Amino acid sequence: MPQVIEVCPVTELAPGEKRLVEWEDLEIGVFNCAGTVYAIEDRCSHDDGPLVEGEFDQQTCTVECPRHGSLFDLRTGQPKTLPAYVPVDTYNVIIENDTIKLEVE
Amino acid sequence: MATPDTVNTDVPVLTENEQLAQINSDYTERYGFHDAENYLYKAPKGLTPELVAKISEFKSEPQWMRDFRIKALEHFLARPMPTWGSPMLAEVDFDDIHYFVRASERAERSWDDVPEDVKKTFDRLGIPEAERKFLSGVGAQYESEVVYHQVREDLEKQGVIFKDMDSGLREHEDLVREYFATIIPPNDNKLAALNSAVWSGGSFVYVPPGVHVEMPLQAYFRINTESMGQFERTLIIADEGSYVHYVEGCTAPTYSSSSLHSAVVELIAKPGARIRYTTVQNWSTNVFNLVTKRAVAQEDATVEWVDCNLGSKLTMKYPSVYLLGERAHGEILSIAFAGKDQHQDAGGKIIHAAPNTTSNIFAKSISKDGGRGSYRGLLEIAKGAHGARSKVVCDALLLDEDSRSDTYPTIRISEDDVNVGHEATVSKVGDDQLFYLMSHGISEEEASKLIVNGFIEPITKELPMEYAVEMNRLIELQMEGSIG
Repeated sequence: MPQVIEVCPVTELAPGEKRLVEWEDLEIGVFNCAGTVYAIEDRCSHDDGPLVEGEFDQQTCTVECPRHGSLFDLRTGQPKTLPAYVPVDTYNVIIENDTIKLEVE
Repeated sequence: MATPDTVNTDVPVLTENEQLAQINSDYTERYGFHDAENYLYKAPKGLTPELVAKISEFKSEPQWMRDFRIKALEHFLARPMPTWGSPMLAEVDFDDIHYFVRASERAERSWDDVPEDVKKTFDRLGIPEAERKFLSGVGAQYESEVVYHQVREDLEKQGVIFKDMDSGLREHEDLVREYFATIIPPNDNKLAALNSAVWSGGSFVYVPPGVHVEMPLQAYFRINTESMGQFERTLIIADEGSYVHYVEGCTAPTYSSSSLHSAVVELIAKPGARIRYTTVQNWSTNVFNLVTKRAVAQEDATVEWVDCNLGSKLTMKYPSVYLLGERAHGEILSIAFAGKDQHQDAGGKIIHAAPNTTSNIFAKSISKDGGRGSYRGLLEIAKGAHGARSKVVCDALLLDEDSRSDTYPTIRISEDDVNVGHEATVSKVGDDQLFYLMSHGISEEEASKLIVNGFIEPITKELPMEYAVEMNRLIELQMEGSIG
């Protein structure tokens, strides 16, 4: 069953900012791309690199894995460059009562 | 040099010192010479952000490429040197390298316009002659930049682009920007980051849909000066249903100080396309050859790496193919010859990321006079790549007790319905094979050559004839006087 978890008030994640959310055994990177919030699994599908620690470009809505440089599209979780070739999981983001929430299961 | 047609069984047995002296005995004469340095610019040794900016400025690059280089330099500086591979890696001194040397104003389209000394060098290496006889196009790089580049007119009319990478960026910026560093990002590894920061020269190839380039395109890379760093960058895009064969060769003078060659090569085979990439690497034995080569094969596409490593002090190179589309095929044929003081750490990687993909890796290494040959490979079959089939064969031949062979195969399989075979052998020349041949009246030296030729034949037969002949000649040269 999907469950909704709270991340933070919208005001605490300004455009261009990112943060790590942990829930049970999940680690999720939450990114504000020019006003739209996206959430992806915080584990590169190539070599488990921590994506939220990578360079985040809110204009192209991508994050670069700090370990081997794969670039991920935050909207889809798809790698745009090798060496990763498998997409990472994405999570539904809900903005409710000025709060950022994620749908997880 | 004796060939099978002119066997002289009366050749006196040489002493060990004489045998050693003969190895690569004509390298200096054929490849190891150097020219006077009439350069337009030679950077002082060492790598700085100012030099990286200067290289970009020299080339009048767009801002995005300048930013790309600077960021790559940061990645290079932040990453430690790898500790796997070879202990020789620790000998690379990044402060003792010239990172950029410009020998001529531009890549000329006529050999007559190439500076005289440089033209003479390529004449001596036989490049213009090969171009006339059997190539569709040639790029000749001297130090940091391409000095000559030409492609047959009929191919140009069909839309084939074959440029040096600097011209490719200038003239086809959108196409370059779309694909550049998507296969090998700058932060992939330390040496890829270095190349991304200071890249210069190399080839840009685009083959339009359905076009078959029947005769190979060739690039030749020449280092001339001492303590040189050569960092070419190659990007090949074969559009749907097209075919291209790209061949590269390289040599350098022999110096007592080390040089560094660190290329990045990216190949993209779109649906139904086929790319064959052949390398005959024959650097002098003072060159560190640390190269990153990677390809993607989309649906029904084929990528073949034919990778021959004869020269260099240390080579670390593992061409890889990502089979991203259904029924894509990857092939890696690798041959390495490690002589005295050489370490050839070669192999390949295949990643099956789609159903019904197929691949072969055939790797052969020959070690002699204390040389070390290593096979390092990866075969990965991802979840969902059902029906994948792969065969990995790596064979090593040791010619004496002092030489060494290592095998580091990694196989990761995350799918049940697959067919994977792996075979590895290490054999030592001598004993039964030598006895058998010598019992038929063949000298020991000739018997050794025959065994080695038979050992590498499955790979040399895949080379264009002219290169197969050259490869056999080089191997025979390396083998000269190797009995013992």
